[in-house]
Amino acid sequence: MASSKKLISREEWEKRLNNVKIRKEDMNKLVMNFLVTEGNVEAAKKFRMESGTHPDIDLATITDRMAVKKAAQCGNVKDAIEKINDLNPEILDTNPQLFFQLQQQRLIELIRNGKVEAALEFAQEELAPRAEENQSFLEELERTISLVAFEDTSNCPVGELLDISQRLKTASEVNAAVLTSQSNEKDPKLPSLLKMLIWAQNKLDKKAAYPCINDLSNARLEDPTF
Amino acid sequence: MPSATVNKPRPSELLSRLTSAEPEVKVRALREVKNQIIGNRTKKLSFLKLGAVPAVAGILADSIDDVTENNNCNNTNNFLVQSAAALGSFACGFDAGVQAVLDAGAFPNLLRLLANPNEKVVDAVARALRMIYQSKLAPKYDFLQQKNMEFLISLLNSEKETVSGLGASIISRSCETNLEQKALFDAGILRKLNSLLEGGSLSLRDASLESLATVFRNNPEVISKFAGPEIGRPLSSIIDLAKDRYPRTRLLACMCLIVIRNASPHFLQDIGIKTKLIHILLELLDDPGQVGDEAPFAFSSLIAQKEDLQKLALEANAIDKFHHHIKKGSLHPRRYEGILLALADMCSKLESCRSKFLSLQVLNLVADALTDYNAGVRAAACICLKSVTRSIKNLSAGYFMNETIVIPLVQLFLDPSTSVQVAALGATSNIVVDFTTRKSIFVQCGGMKQLVQLAKSMESSVRSNALWALKNFVFQADNRLKEGVFSELTASLLSSLIRDPEPSVQEQALALVRNLVDGCINLIEFVFAEDGLILGAIGRQLQCASKAEIGIQGMYALCNVASGNEFHREAVMQLLFTQMGDKNQSFVVKFLQSNDSQLRTATVWTIVNLTCPSSPGAPCRLEKLRNAGIVSQIKNMVNDPCVDVKLRVRTVLGQSMAFGDN
Repeated sequence: MASSKKLISREEWEKRLNNVKIRKEDMNKLVMNFLVTEGNVEAAKKFRMESGTHPDIDLATITDRMAVKKAAQCGNVKDAIEKINDLNPEILDTNPQLFFQLQQQRLIELIRNGKVEAALEFAQEELAPRAEENQSFLEELERTISLVAFEDTSNCPVGELLDISQRLKTASEVNAAVLTSQSNEKDPKLPSLLKMLIWAQNKLDKKAAYPCINDLSNARLEDPTF
Repeated sequence: MPSATVNKPRPSELLSRLTSAEPEVKVRALREVKNQIIGNRTKKLSFLKLGAVPAVAGILADSIDDVTENNNCNNTNNFLVQSAAALGSFACGFDAGVQAVLDAGAFPNLLRLLANPNEKVVDAVARALRMIYQSKLAPKYDFLQQKNMEFLISLLNSEKETVSGLGASIISRSCETNLEQKALFDAGILRKLNSLLEGGSLSLRDASLESLATVFRNNPEVISKFAGPEIGRPLSSIIDLAKDRYPRTRLLACMCLIVIRNASPHFLQDIGIKTKLIHILLELLDDPGQVGDEAPFAFSSLIAQKEDLQKLALEANAIDKFHHHIKKGSLHPRRYEGILLALADMCSKLESCRSKFLSLQVLNLVADALTDYNAGVRAAACICLKSVTRSIKNLSAGYFMNETIVIPLVQLFLDPSTSVQVAALGATSNIVVDFTTRKSIFVQCGGMKQLVQLAKSMESSVRSNALWALKNFVFQADNRLKEGVFSELTASLLSSLIRDPEPSVQEQALALVRNLVDGCINLIEFVFAEDGLILGAIGRQLQCASKAEIGIQGMYALCNVASGNEFHREAVMQLLFTQMGDKNQSFVVKFLQSNDSQLRTATVWTIVNLTCPSSPGAPCRLEKLRNAGIVSQIKNMVNDPCVDVKLRVRTVLGQSMAFGDN
């Protein structure tokens, strides 16, 4: 079947690429934005020193936010909650979903440490009233409590709750909430750029055969094939 | 090492520590209370009941004194921040908390603290005040006082977002009258808010949008002054925000634009913006949170009473989208109510919308909502039914008179909420105008008896709506049905309803009589039952009718009675003349001279029936009418501007000439 696609050789492609000018400052800003949003304070400070790029937000606010994220990542949920409330009491007061998630994490940590009685008491006192008001909270609470019933949690249907990834998920939600409350964009720009690249390539695929980037991590150009 | 310990002191223990002499203990207890109540409504309530709010407000007050005496700065600031944060949390989304904070006298202290040099203190205090201002219970802010306006301006000019955000919240809450809106405009507040829109952070932009909408509401003058000269530039920043990446901003921007559209006929009228608003709001339905809950209400405010927008929305598949969302089930009650009301608005005028609604089988889902546990949802379902049952095509086909709808609807007549009752009656009033012979279903499920019970309600709106439904029910119904209604009602009840203190009830009662006696001659006997109770009540009510509608229904009732036999006609005559004193004109002449053409028509019709040539007593009655000056009055109406009146006048005059009158 004859293809109506245009073929662009690597040579020609690279020539065209060279004609597009990208400013160094723009790339630096993207890097700084990524470091700042992810909360890599030290790296951001060093990068500022070495490249002269100014971050969009005050690096001091990052430290506060990182303390919260770290506490959540380590499973010190009570500590994380207290730190958020010191930073901005409105965040948890106006975000029932996030608050429930944090309380749920506290429950998970209690169960993980084998403190079953304390866990049940905690669930009864803190989580049950929330679950009464909300169907999805109730379902989540039931899922979490069911952990208590299993002896071998590594094999049970809700075992993923005990996984470290659950903690990281909670920590990342908390990070996003604090970022938003500080009126900053919670998503770094870099991933959006890469998504745009993939979309553009998908579009172009229909019309041309050209050297494309398949591996984002090394951004290597691969020769066009039919 | 994860610290997951849960042992904490009992609430009462914590409270007693709040009054400890040791600052360390006190501040730790304060922070613990704060951390327990944030996000936790149950805890807020239980601490409230234990008297926590006055205790915390006391700490705030004491710390202010310490500030003025310059005692131990760091510690004092800590107390101020923690107590302000705790008070703010009590007030956050919790009216009982707001009331408690106000009752504890903390409000003036919080205001004073806005001038505190410490940033963290100011932040905490500004947040607490903003929480208070988000509640209806917040103290009214008097914008018309110069000092207050200056203070507000200083808040909006602050570099701190928490403080300028507070300024915006005060406007959103307290600005009510056109006078206040103008005062705010004159003070340059709108320009300031607009700059916050363009330069501020997310929450500040949202707060500004709400404030702008509040100042614009129902005030075309302020809108045109704001938007006019700059050729729509200020409006363009709001329009841009309608496409913002954050859903809440999009919603608030749409709501602001809708306020502008609804108040002023000059702005945002082109089809482009109309279509855009519809699409944005429909898409916001997909938001799982509060934004999605509020979106249908904004949609209603956009399309209500406006056929052009309803048509556009229909083309944008609005009904399909609403249907899709209701089908998903387990909706938040606010969202459910909003969607039902939006559907009600969509179907309120256009048959094309109702057809779409019925073809998608949304009716079954709405019938389910009639039994929802939430009163707002039940009422909204009834209102939706009322709109859809305006479809004469489907009413005629007997589409709605079936058990799935009628049974739950009749059950709502006993609903604890008055607004649900009234809404159910509204829907029933349409459904019972069933042109098929299926009205008996309504009787079978006890609906008719319930309506009669509701006609005795303490609430006048329930009485008048129940009578309305009965009136429609007996409209062109068969004799058996009418007799059933009458025997259930009884003459004494009906006559007392005719003499009800509320005009709207009087009107509906008279209209009910009109429909009852219409048609078969036997039915006219109703008004003579129990010594002519009803007829007498009609006569007395017509004598002192407070509005034209009462006269209209009463006269048509008499007109129908006069279409019977001689006895009936004589009784009507007696009624028309007994009420006359020497000084008073007969109400007949008053009605004939009324500005209301319907009233004139009804009265002339009655005279037509009274002077019908084929009846033996007609000449005698005509003589009486002539003597009372009624015939000459009618002669003056030969060229009445209303065609109906003119034709009936000519009939009367023609009939009178048949008796040899000149």
